[in-house]
Amino acid sequence: MKPLSGIRIADFTVHNAGPFCTNLLSQLGAEVVKIESAMRPDAFRKPHPVYGRMGPATFDQVSSTKLSVRVNLKKPEGIALAKRVVSVSDVAAESFRPGVIGRLGLGYKALQAVRSDIIMLSVSSCGQAGPDSHFAGYAPLFGAWGSLSDLTGYPDGPPVEMRHVMDHTVGMNAAVAVMAALMQRRTTGKGAHVDVAAREVASSLAGEALLLAAAGGTPRRIGNAQEGRSPHNVYPAAGEDRWIAISARNDAERAALAKVIGGGDLSDEAISTWTGTREANAAAAELQSAGIAAHASWTTPEIAADSHLHERHAIVSVEEPDGTARAAVGVPMRLSKGPEIGIHRGTPKLGEHEDYIYGELLGMDSAARKALEDAEVIY
Amino acid sequence: MSETLLPLNGLKVVVHAAGVGAAYAARMLSTLGASCILVEGKDGSPLRGEAPFLPQSKISALFAYLAAGMRSQVIELASDEGRATLGALLSTSDIFIDDTPVAAREALGLDAAGIAAKHPDLVHVSVLPFGATGPKAGWKADDIQVLHASGEGYLLPNGLSVEMFPHRPPVKIYGHFAAMQGGIAAALGALAAVWARPETGGQYVDISAQDATLAVGAFAIQRLGDGSVEHRVERSFRYGGVIPCADGYVELLTLEQRQWDGLVKLLGEPEWALDPALADSLERSRRGPVINTYIRAWAAVRKVEDIVREGQKLSVPLAKYYTPIEVVNDSHGKFRGLFQPVAVDGAGLLDMLVSPFHFDGSPLHLRAGPPALGEMNRAEELA
Repeated sequence: MKPLSGIRIADFTVHNAGPFCTNLLSQLGAEVVKIESAMRPDAFRKPHPVYGRMGPATFDQVSSTKLSVRVNLKKPEGIALAKRVVSVSDVAAESFRPGVIGRLGLGYKALQAVRSDIIMLSVSSCGQAGPDSHFAGYAPLFGAWGSLSDLTGYPDGPPVEMRHVMDHTVGMNAAVAVMAALMQRRTTGKGAHVDVAAREVASSLAGEALLLAAAGGTPRRIGNAQEGRSPHNVYPAAGEDRWIAISARNDAERAALAKVIGGGDLSDEAISTWTGTREANAAAAELQSAGIAAHASWTTPEIAADSHLHERHAIVSVEEPDGTARAAVGVPMRLSKGPEIGIHRGTPKLGEHEDYIYGELLGMDSAARKALEDAEVIY
Repeated sequence: MSETLLPLNGLKVVVHAAGVGAAYAARMLSTLGASCILVEGKDGSPLRGEAPFLPQSKISALFAYLAAGMRSQVIELASDEGRATLGALLSTSDIFIDDTPVAAREALGLDAAGIAAKHPDLVHVSVLPFGATGPKAGWKADDIQVLHASGEGYLLPNGLSVEMFPHRPPVKIYGHFAAMQGGIAAALGALAAVWARPETGGQYVDISAQDATLAVGAFAIQRLGDGSVEHRVERSFRYGGVIPCADGYVELLTLEQRQWDGLVKLLGEPEWALDPALADSLERSRRGPVINTYIRAWAAVRKVEDIVREGQKLSVPLAKYYTPIEVVNDSHGKFRGLFQPVAVDGAGLLDMLVSPFHFDGSPLHLRAGPPALGEMNRAEELA
């Protein structure tokens, strides 16, 4: 069975971090109700010229497996309707700037009034409280604030921006926190307000460097080096822009590497001479068979086509509305008693599931729904 | 948040970790309130010998961070007695996290079938670079291989860095990013399985750091389906990004019109920025390199703190590129209790990052610093 069957989430999250959290939980079986409106549709329903997409996305990873209802949060009746959805939910998730959800009338206390044991998740750049809590931010800013970006890059170059992996690791962290809150509710009967600060997630991924700094050390950018590993680098392979990552942990692995490349010189130049004439995947397989950590630097098409990832359902095939297949990313785990976890529904149409949510769950008749549509509350 | 109020109080975790992923999963659960026992051989977990080390010492900062709040019990799994001891421990535990290579498990009594037979209610979590099943289950990897097997390795650096060094090899994310993604996925899988336990009983959770790192890099797969193949050279923002200033770097990213309008005000409404053509986001995108020339010239003579303070007042997304020590000393982090002084044997009290989570307005807390090797064995002997 899907482990989170029976859990319902009212999902007010926007952009990437919050929606990825609820997407993971939906792939694990939670029923996630995406709350949006024609006035403020999700970003994937709009063109995104920055990424060269001039129309709505036909498939959106972080919206897959979710249900969709329309609620106009600009109207008081919309707020009342949103509360009704929350009243039948276990979790309410949001990722507005701190203070916004409260000003809408959907803050934690207001939601507790409609469901006393509600778990509220708030995902934001800098957390719900603190001198910088009002700061706006996106993934590259989280990495900058958290020092992960300062630590990443060539030693003689600038820091490196973290991109969507930063958003999504915030979402995966948030999913852990939501699960902890659910466990606590099971034990105590009490809900919780969970506050996840994206910049602190970035810092948590460099916790050892922060400890070193606190002790008087000076962690800094070291490119592809890793203290305690030698060699440890990315080397050129045959073909344009082809690379292979190789590392060794101890003398036995270094000896094995020397044997494979045919000499005792393990300088970057010597290794590059060996790798430079070899196809990256074949070289990686040869090194792995000798007990050496190695992998080709894969492009996205190589990942999408990989048999290991397909076998593990880490890459799955989903269907576009026109029936064509495309690759998507599955929830990153295999469960012995939950083989059916994963994406089981594509991107919902705006308001696609109102018969179920408003009709079946909330017991609204068609006249009541029509009145709210006419008043642009369901809009 | 007081210890009695931590959300996972009462949950019992045993971890047997040689790598970062399994340890990070246990660290997350421990910080959320679970009691966590680190099972080590007599020489200690290999993590105790992993860099970076605290200054002038052989104390692993990595181990200290990962094992904070855990207990340590030495158990020799190569012996019948050791396996029996572990069995007794698991019989009273909820979650067992292990990263022993699959081929070595049976001899140590750590194979999935054997554990499931003896402990039907236990959630058994395997954390490996490529998972426990599939053609590459036996492959070795450090973080750099997992990053390159998951997509993000090929896609970094971007922005200013790739602009300066377009012909260099890709560069990895600092530290153990990929292994930690495996750890986060493992914590999620463990809790999801415990949640389902009343219906399903225990089960086996197979985590791959590659799967987890791919999951957080899902956008590249999304774009592939949209018809675009990402590449680090083209993945840069057309304008903004890493901006060098007089005394450091800021990150600037304006995705919305109002943010661009705020940026124009921040720049002092110069003539070039008031060009009506730049009201159109596509035109801005086309002229990105020119816009960046102006922004960089403006920022080069200004201080980071001034730019961020004034920019954020105008709702322009701007952040300082903090160094680690700046994060440790940052007033925002101090307000939020991001760090807590903990005792590290041989190094005294050190500020250690606790967790990015607050529950009901309060930070979590660490029970203790990292454990001395086998401190539980000694405690038992004394008792």
